[in-house]
Amino acid sequence: MQIREMERQDPPVRLVAIGPVYRRDNLDLTHTPMFHQVEGLVVGRGITLADLKGTLTSMAAALFGAGQEVRFRPSFFPYTEPSAEVDIRCIRCGGEGCPMCKRTGWLEILGSGMVHPAVFEYVGYDPDEITGFAFGMGIERVALLKWGVEDIRLFYENDLRFLEQFGR
Amino acid sequence: MKVLLSWVREFVDIDESAEAIGRKMSMRGLALEGLEPSGTDALLDFDVTANRPDCLSMAGIAREIAVAYGVPFRAPASRLAPLATAAASAPGATIPITIEAPDLCPRYVGAIADVTIGPSPVWMAERLTACGVRPISNIVDVTNYVLLELGHPMHAFDHARLAGPAITVRLARSGESLETLDGKTRALTSQMLVIADAEQATALGGVMGGADSEVANGTERIVFEAAWFKPQSVRATSRALGLRTEASIRFERGADLTAPALAMARACELLEQIGAGRRTGPIIDAYPRPYQAATIWLPRPGIAGLLGMPVPDAAATRILGALGFDASPGDGGWSVRIPGWRIDIQRDVDLIEEVGRHHGFEHLPTTFPGVQQAPAPSDPRVARDRRAREVAIAGGFSEAISFAFIEARHAEPFLDRPGTGVGLANPLSETFAVMRPSLLPGLVAGVGHNRRHGQRDVQLFEIGTRFSRSGEERVLALAWTGLATPDHWSGGRRDADFFDIKGAVEALAAQFDTTVSVDLPPEDSVPHRVLVPGRASIVRRDREVVGWMGQLRAAITDAHDVPANDVVWAAEISLDGMAPAGAARIKRAEPLPRFPSTERDIALLLDESLSAAIVRGTIRSHAPDTLVSVVEFDRYQGKGIPDGKVSLALRLTFQSPERTLTDAEVERATTEVVELLARECGAVRR
Repeated sequence: MQIREMERQDPPVRLVAIGPVYRRDNLDLTHTPMFHQVEGLVVGRGITLADLKGTLTSMAAALFGAGQEVRFRPSFFPYTEPSAEVDIRCIRCGGEGCPMCKRTGWLEILGSGMVHPAVFEYVGYDPDEITGFAFGMGIERVALLKWGVEDIRLFYENDLRFLEQFGR
Repeated sequence: MKVLLSWVREFVDIDESAEAIGRKMSMRGLALEGLEPSGTDALLDFDVTANRPDCLSMAGIAREIAVAYGVPFRAPASRLAPLATAAASAPGATIPITIEAPDLCPRYVGAIADVTIGPSPVWMAERLTACGVRPISNIVDVTNYVLLELGHPMHAFDHARLAGPAITVRLARSGESLETLDGKTRALTSQMLVIADAEQATALGGVMGGADSEVANGTERIVFEAAWFKPQSVRATSRALGLRTEASIRFERGADLTAPALAMARACELLEQIGAGRRTGPIIDAYPRPYQAATIWLPRPGIAGLLGMPVPDAAATRILGALGFDASPGDGGWSVRIPGWRIDIQRDVDLIEEVGRHHGFEHLPTTFPGVQQAPAPSDPRVARDRRAREVAIAGGFSEAISFAFIEARHAEPFLDRPGTGVGLANPLSETFAVMRPSLLPGLVAGVGHNRRHGQRDVQLFEIGTRFSRSGEERVLALAWTGLATPDHWSGGRRDADFFDIKGAVEALAAQFDTTVSVDLPPEDSVPHRVLVPGRASIVRRDREVVGWMGQLRAAITDAHDVPANDVVWAAEISLDGMAPAGAARIKRAEPLPRFPSTERDIALLLDESLSAAIVRGTIRSHAPDTLVSVVEFDRYQGKGIPDGKVSLALRLTFQSPERTLTDAEVERATTEVVELLARECGAVRR
C-alpha cells in the first residue's frame, strides 16, 4: 500500500490506509486469518523519529484516553530503521503484571519506524534528501483491548447483540 | 531468549533487580517477554528481534546491559587464557581439515580431546535446564553451554567413528543420505553443505549432527567443531529438510565469523574444568576467508536529522564504543568499523538507531511533522464508502464484516459460470478455500447466526471487495429478514417485502447518481440465479447493470442454516460502478419563484397493468414547460370502475418564472396533459 502510493506520487506523502490483511493463523480466541490494519505514512524533508513519537503518542491517547500511560520502545522491522513499538499500560492489571501482559505490565498496540532508505531507493526517492515514518496497527487487537472483548471471532460472527453495542 | 541473571552477571557487574533490568532493557530494544524466579536466581525471557542473533546468548545480553547502564563489559575473550591455534596445514595437526566450499564455510575450527563420558556437574546441568536445554552428557552439555553463553553453536563427533579420521566440508553428493541425530534418514541434495569424514557425510553443516558419529557412552576421543556457515545455505537446508535447531537458528540469522576460536577455547576450558577430558594437540583453525571488517561513515548531522533529538558527541561515541564498534572521528562524523557479531549493521541509519536506542527513546521529544504544502485531496472512494455506510445505517441496517475467503460450495451459486471461482493456492482449510464472488454468502451466514440466536428481525449490510477472475470490485450488500419496521403501537406489523429492499437500494443509489434505476424484469426472467423468479430486479446506472436485488432462493438460505420459512431479501450493488459521492448534488442554486403556482386535480381511468412509473415518465417527457410537479394522490379500484381498470388521481402544479398564469393558460395546459395521456397510455378522463 505504502510502496504503491510512493511509486504513484512524488514526496511529500501523507496517508492513512485502512483495509483487510491476511495471515496464516487458525481461527481462535485471539487469532483470525483475516484482520484489519491501519497504516500511516508521512514522507518529506526533515521528518524525524520524534515526529513519529509525537504522532503515535497522541493517537494512543485519543484511542485509550489522555490518562493512559504510553511508551515508545525500540524494536525491529525489516522496512524501517530505526523501528519502534508503542505499548500501553496493561489495562487489566494497571501495570502490576498479569497473564494478559505476560507479567510485563505493558501491552503492545502497534509497530512503526523511520522508512528504511532501501525502500526510498526502491521507489525512486532520494534517501539523502527525504526521510519519513510509517506505522501499522491491527484494528481488531486495539478494539479487543479498548472494549475488553474476550474473543476476536466476535468481530466476524456479526451477532446483532454484539454489533448493536457499538451504536447506530 | 531466556537468560539466567547469575550467568549474565559473570560478564557484567550489575546490582539492579531482575525487574529493573527487564524494564530498562525493554526500552533498549530487548523487550522483556517474561520473568520468573529460578531458585535464588531469576530467569529473564527477552524477545530478541530477528536482526540481533548476537543477543542469543548470555554474553550478548550482558553486553547490551553493560551499555544501557554504562558499566564495563567483561568480554569473554578477556576471561580466557589465550590459546594458540594452528593452521590446518601446520605440521602436527592432529586431524586433517579440508574446506571444499569456502564460500559457504569460510572458517572451521577443530580440536581433538580425550574424554570420559558421564553426566555433567549439577551446576552446569541446572543452568542448562533453567534455560530450557535438556542435559544429555558432559560433552554434549559443554557444547550447549558454550552455545548459550557465547551464542556460537558447536558440535562434537566421536573420533573413532570418523573414517580417516578426517574432516571435509563439502556439498553433499547426489544420492547421498544421512541419518541425523533425531534418528531420521535424510535424503541430501547437492545444494546442502555437509561435514564429511574420509568416506561419507557425517553432519549437516550448521543444522544437525549425524547419528553415526554421535558421541555416546564409551566414546573416548572426540572432535570438537566450531565453524561458521553461510546464513543462506543453512536457511535453505533447514527449510528443505524441515529441520530447525538452536544451531540453525543462529547460523541462518548470522553468527560471528570472529567467534569460533573463542568458542573452541571456552569449550576446551570447560572440558577440563568439569573433569570431562583434556584437549590433545593444537586447536586447528582452517580459515580461508578471514573476516574483513566493514567501515561505515556516520555523518554527525544524520543523527539529529533522523532522530529529531540532539545526541552529544561524547554520548554517541560512548555508546558505539561500548557496543564494540570502533568509531574514529573524521570531518563532520565518524568512520565506524563493524565487529564480526554485528551482521545487522549495513548502513549509517543502522548506526543512528544504535545511538538513539541506547541514548533512550524516552528522551525523544514529542513533535509533529511540519506541513510544507496543502494535503493531497482524499481518495473519493473513501467519502463514497462512508456515505454508503451512513445511508445503510440510517435505513436500519447494522454493519457486518465477514471473511473474504469462504467455502467453495457457498461461492459456487454466485459465480457467473460454474467453476470460475478464485481459489486459494494453499488454503488454511476448506472453510477458507476461495475468494468470495459476492458478499452475500458471508452476510447470509450472519443472518443465519442471528436467527439461530433468538433474533427475529435481522438487517445487515457489508461494504467490501468481491473477487472474480477478471479482478476485484468494491460492492455493498444488504440482507433483510423479519419485520419491515420495529414493532410499535403507532404502526402495524408488517414483514419486509420487495418494496422495502427496493427502497433501501434506491436510497443508496440516490446518494450517488440520479440515473440509477431499479427495473422490474418480466415475470419469468431471473436477474440472478440465487434469486426467486418474479421477486427480483436488476439495478442499472443508465444502461449498465450495477447490481441486483430480490428474494434469495431457499437453497441459498438453507446452506447457511437460516430457518426454513424465513424470507430473506438481499441486494448487492457495485460501488465502483457508481459515480463518486456528491456527483448527484446540485451544481447551482435556482432563484426562488416570484409568481404564485396553480394546482389542478384530474382523475383518469387507466389499464391496471400500467405502472405508475410509465405514467410519470410520459408526463415528464412531453408535458408543457409550466408543469412543475405531478403527484399521484389517489388510486381506486372497485365499485364504478370497470374490471381491469384503475382510477388514478393526479395533482398537477403549474408555475411560470415570468408571470402569474391565467386560468385559461392553466386549463389549456391541463388539457394538453390529459390528451397526451389519452394518446400515449389510453387514459380516459373521469
